[in-house]
Amino acid sequence: MGLGSYLRNIADTVVTIADGLAVTASHLVRKPVTVEYPDRVPDGVRVQDTLPFRYRGMLEVDLEICTACLACERACPIDCIVIDAVKDKAAGGLVMTRFDIDMAKCMYCGLCSEPCPTGAIHHTPEFEGADYSLESLVRRFVKEPTLAYRPKKGGETDPVLAPLLERGLAYVSDFADPDRSGSGA
Amino acid sequence: MGLAGFEVEVQRQTEGGGLVTEDMTLNMGPQHPSTHGVLRFVVRADGEVMKEALPDVGYLHRSIEKIAEKVGWHGFLPYTDRVDYVAAMFCNHGWAMACEQLAGIAVPRRGEYCRVIADEMCRLHSHLLSVGSMAMDLGAFTPFTHAIREREYLNDLFEELCGARLTFHYMRIGGVGWDLPPGFGDKLAHFLDRFEPLIDEYDRLISYNKIYTERLAGVAVISPQDAIDYNLVGPNLRGSGIRYDVRRDDPYSVYPELDFEVPVGRGELGVLGDCFDRYIVRVREMRESCRILRQCLRQIPDGPVIAKVPRNFKPPAGDCYVRVESARGDMGWYVVSDGTAFPHRCKIRTGSFAAISMIPRLSRGLMLADLVAVIASLDLVAPEIDR
Amino acid sequence: MSELVDRLVANGTLPAVLPLWVWQLGAMVLFGSIVVFLFVLPVAGITTWVERRIMARMQSRIGPNRTGPVGFLQWLADGVKNLLKEDIVPAAADARLFRAAPYVVIVGFVATFAAIPFSSALIIADLDIGILYVTAVTALVVVGILMAGWSSNNKWALLGGIRSAAQIVSYEIPAGLSIFPAVLLAGTLSMQGIIAAQGPAPWQWFVFDNPFAFCAFVVLFTASLAEGNRTPFDLPEAESELVAGFATEYSGMRNLLFFMAEWGNLYVIGAIATTLFLGGWQIPWALEGHPVLRHLLETLTFVVKASVVGILLPIWLRWTLPRVRVDQMMVMCWKYLVPIALVNLLGTAMWVVAFPNGLLPIRLALLALTVCAAALFVRRVIFHLRNARLGREHLSFNPLATARSPG
Repeated sequence: MGLGSYLRNIADTVVTIADGLAVTASHLVRKPVTVEYPDRVPDGVRVQDTLPFRYRGMLEVDLEICTACLACERACPIDCIVIDAVKDKAAGGLVMTRFDIDMAKCMYCGLCSEPCPTGAIHHTPEFEGADYSLESLVRRFVKEPTLAYRPKKGGETDPVLAPLLERGLAYVSDFADPDRSGSGA
Repeated sequence: MGLAGFEVEVQRQTEGGGLVTEDMTLNMGPQHPSTHGVLRFVVRADGEVMKEALPDVGYLHRSIEKIAEKVGWHGFLPYTDRVDYVAAMFCNHGWAMACEQLAGIAVPRRGEYCRVIADEMCRLHSHLLSVGSMAMDLGAFTPFTHAIREREYLNDLFEELCGARLTFHYMRIGGVGWDLPPGFGDKLAHFLDRFEPLIDEYDRLISYNKIYTERLAGVAVISPQDAIDYNLVGPNLRGSGIRYDVRRDDPYSVYPELDFEVPVGRGELGVLGDCFDRYIVRVREMRESCRILRQCLRQIPDGPVIAKVPRNFKPPAGDCYVRVESARGDMGWYVVSDGTAFPHRCKIRTGSFAAISMIPRLSRGLMLADLVAVIASLDLVAPEIDR
Repeated sequence: MSELVDRLVANGTLPAVLPLWVWQLGAMVLFGSIVVFLFVLPVAGITTWVERRIMARMQSRIGPNRTGPVGFLQWLADGVKNLLKEDIVPAAADARLFRAAPYVVIVGFVATFAAIPFSSALIIADLDIGILYVTAVTALVVVGILMAGWSSNNKWALLGGIRSAAQIVSYEIPAGLSIFPAVLLAGTLSMQGIIAAQGPAPWQWFVFDNPFAFCAFVVLFTASLAEGNRTPFDLPEAESELVAGFATEYSGMRNLLFFMAEWGNLYVIGAIATTLFLGGWQIPWALEGHPVLRHLLETLTFVVKASVVGILLPIWLRWTLPRVRVDQMMVMCWKYLVPIALVNLLGTAMWVVAFPNGLLPIRLALLALTVCAAALFVRRVIFHLRNARLGREHLSFNPLATARSPG
């Protein structure tokens, strides 16, 4: 190794190290980007509310607008949704006795919420699901046998059901539709 | 070691004066801070210099290919995310393309553009992690955190696009799952404006740092012929000077309409095909991805984003092989259909599997510290190797 | 210190029933204990807090902020946690060596404090061979590390121990050679003597005395980093390769002792560099009539200088640079640092012969060069900030800043 390359090595080392030190020093005066979750977020702000609309958090079922079509049960690749629905002539339609989602198995893929006709089953921005026992992760949505929902022609007028249906349909129609054109970026 | 077929031949030498020396057998076990994922290497070393490093794979095998036969065509898409969770969009894309080819479905142009946007964002995502982990493995922890910080901004964009940060499940058979949300183009453009200068800053912090280049230049040289013989793909292949990119040479989707360079290694700081070349190819690919993303945002047409695909999808019997240019290179999907609602067989060919097969050959004569650099420069990810 | 004891015995405060040397010894032990428990251990602990907060800001994050007001009690919590951990001695390890190794390392580190000055009178033992003693005693750490690496019965630990032994032993040479220019300029090996030969003003420090002494400072700093196992020379504990190197099998308090030795050693690095090259505890005012104030100011000056050079600068380097490889580290020592250190030594010797009182213009010129380099550096920092398109609203000069908005 000649003297020239020897000195050049030393010069390279010093210059590149100094540049790296300058970058790090410039970071020292930048604002940190840490969000001090969970106990020091700004007052009145729930992190869940800041998440985007499509966020695939924990599943939620609005049983009032569930039609018991079982499309979600068929679509789930892991079989974590179990629905028991029987035809009951006396009650006037399908009666659901069980709607269980095993959140421990769920992989948050969204395949169940796509085919739902009313958007009853949908993902929420909720992500804080940690618990102490595996059994508590099975979410049982049916408290007592419930009559399945029948969509009304001409829109829903019930004041309780209408907003649920509106929200559910907005969620489901957000998915890509072969008949709908998008534009722009 | 005790594993059949895994006996390491320990050599003993008698030096002058009757001093008997023996090789050291080390276990760089499945839990190790710098094997990217659960990989195990049985290293036979003479002090610091390695004689051989045998990889032991399979710790992350999850039978994903078999699962495909159980969950059906649509149901397998979320599983493809887990094939390579660092670059999940490409796996989605490969499976979706295979299904479309089997069934003869044409994806609408806007859907293809959405796919390319998602793919290139994912390439940035994966390369940031790769480049950051490489720096961390070599001892520089700060560049890793900077890369992760930029990844967080990308994660925010992905959340808006498809609702998830790691296992995207963005693509569907026939197109994509959601159209670009309103305002996405502006947010992505804003991110790119912020991000491109930071690649330069990253270069100044670590890429051309003398200590870093000394660690990488001339280490684990893969000659172009070796790269082809061992089936390397992606940045590993391009680092050895071979300008092969599936997006350019076997184009799919709308890549023919996009204008981008394919960076190759030039041996600028050492020998052609060394660790530094593979590393710098990834950094340059990040810049090209930014370029592609800007073009897509300008050129994206109007239209639907998904074709009509029956929910009970039954492609005709037959087979197909499709390739996508994943962040880790050419990812091949060989799918066989027997006409039912469940695939008959799905075989995934990944770049990391070929790359890890080259480690015993590369590791001869390297030092232990270089093994870490080699693993990082080949960008091995365990989920891709084991599936 | 010894004069203080002499005076107290002379005026009867300490009864003369015991001979003088007993009182001297007792005073040394007492002062030593005070220094160790009230200075060395807290400094080792607080350095970890400072390091974690500074490194976090360099990485756009905050660092410890939950235990204590700004995470200040984090090091205490870590200490308590380590005390409560299960004390594991691997079954196949050499138990006696395994148990003894951390103590050897700690002794090698704490013993240096016997000769490190805090102010003109505050030094446990003002040895005539002060700096030589410090260099010799820090070499004890090698023995401890080798013991730890070997007795762990773990190949990775062994590799770490051997690497460390090679590293520390090799870098003793340039470190020792770089100490000599300061000794030549001062004419004595005594720590207090070397400081007394310098002055309070920056151009009276040895570092700016002549170009060779300046290079010697840089070489000394680099070699000390290597001796202290700090990045870029932290191969013995290379986290990504050897998990924890020689300390892999250690848990609980034994592990903590190793790390305390490493972080406390930062202060020793700074103290030695300050003593030899940066004017030590010299302050501009004589303050004859106020000994307490004088010693307080001197101690403060010394601690601040040692902290900047020994704690802040290594932290900055650690979190910027990657690690060198073993053979590259050896090349750097033997092919680069040793020849440069020899040249510095010869150059300083010639300078001392040619200009016995130094040349003020050269001193001022070196100081001016350093200030210019610092100004260029600040300009480069501003360039990086502009390049990242950051305006004033993205900056925060508050070291205790937090960012409290999600999303």
